[in-house]
Amino acid sequence: MPQPVHVGMADLVVSKHPAHLVTLGLGSCIGLVIYDQLSKTVGMVHIMLPDSREAKDIPKPGKFADTAVPLLVGELIRLGVNRSQLRAKMAGGAQMFSMPGKTSAIFAVGARNVEATLKMLATENVRLVAQDTGGSKGRSVEFDSDTMKFTVKTLGSGTKEL
Amino acid sequence: MDPVSGFTSIHMDAIKEVGNIGTGNAATALSRLLGRVVEMDVPVAELVPIYDIPARYGSPETPVCAVLVRTDGNFSCSLIFMIEEDKAETLADLISPLDLSGMDEETQRQIRDSALSEQGNIILGAFLNALSVITGWVLPTTAPAVARDMLGSIMDLAASMFGVIGESALLVRTNLTVKGLDKELGGTLIMIPDPGSLEALLSKLGVL
Repeated sequence: MPQPVHVGMADLVVSKHPAHLVTLGLGSCIGLVIYDQLSKTVGMVHIMLPDSREAKDIPKPGKFADTAVPLLVGELIRLGVNRSQLRAKMAGGAQMFSMPGKTSAIFAVGARNVEATLKMLATENVRLVAQDTGGSKGRSVEFDSDTMKFTVKTLGSGTKEL
Repeated sequence: MDPVSGFTSIHMDAIKEVGNIGTGNAATALSRLLGRVVEMDVPVAELVPIYDIPARYGSPETPVCAVLVRTDGNFSCSLIFMIEEDKAETLADLISPLDLSGMDEETQRQIRDSALSEQGNIILGAFLNALSVITGWVLPTTAPAVARDMLGSIMDLAASMFGVIGESALLVRTNLTVKGLDKELGGTLIMIPDPGSLEALLSKLGVL
């Protein structure tokens, strides 16, 4: 197996085969992979927030769903992948703390991240084939270009493969 | 410009002093509750690039127990008391009069969560009381919320709150250590002010 590449907050990584991409401790953030199974070209982005429109400047486009998804798709196409071959898998978007009343809106960024990412995938015409999102538990994710398996680890309830 | 990174050392010192007074009160409250000596570090007020937050306080996959309360008033912020999960059990059992050993795992977890939530509530409430005394503001607090999870996932909260307005977060952090036990028992108190509420606090303190 190739050396794992850690995809930090707002990082965006694309790679030809072989690649092993890892993101640890996602809470409300999203780990999104887009890949082409034929050429085994893969990419992962660690999305933090849904919407860049209120940001004054965007030094890292991977930070926002609406800038991250088009960039990831663009980078994969630049590596020679055909757009129609692209598939996506995603995990994350949890709400770590739940509180009664209006304060919970601040903590609901996870759900908004999921919604915005789904919307952008639809806009970019990329088909989502698997997701493990929402809930109240953090996740660590791994993606391997050999198997295209997206492994999601959750404390307490173990590992699942998407 | 990023409003947070525009702060000077005077502003940071004022925020650190707020952290100092708040944590002092929090340490006293924990000490009274446990009947033990509690030591605190000098608080650190720091500007952290949001992308570094998940790994700032340890390995992002470390299992922790975190208690969170919020205040939404003249000054709004989130306060987190975070402790590594194995230490959290010891801390919970210090105030539990029950012997949990014969109970099933789920019941043990619920009783410990309840104890931790109360400890967190007392510690963080004491912090906010001190802040209320300094500012003269009424700072109503929410009921505590508890999460047991990976450190990185918990701290996503701070990264996304500050991420909306810029690239840095202002966090105040102190370690509290309970003395006189066989094993070192300590947790971290983190104040995460809502980005927009710092100016009000600084102007109340007369440094803005």
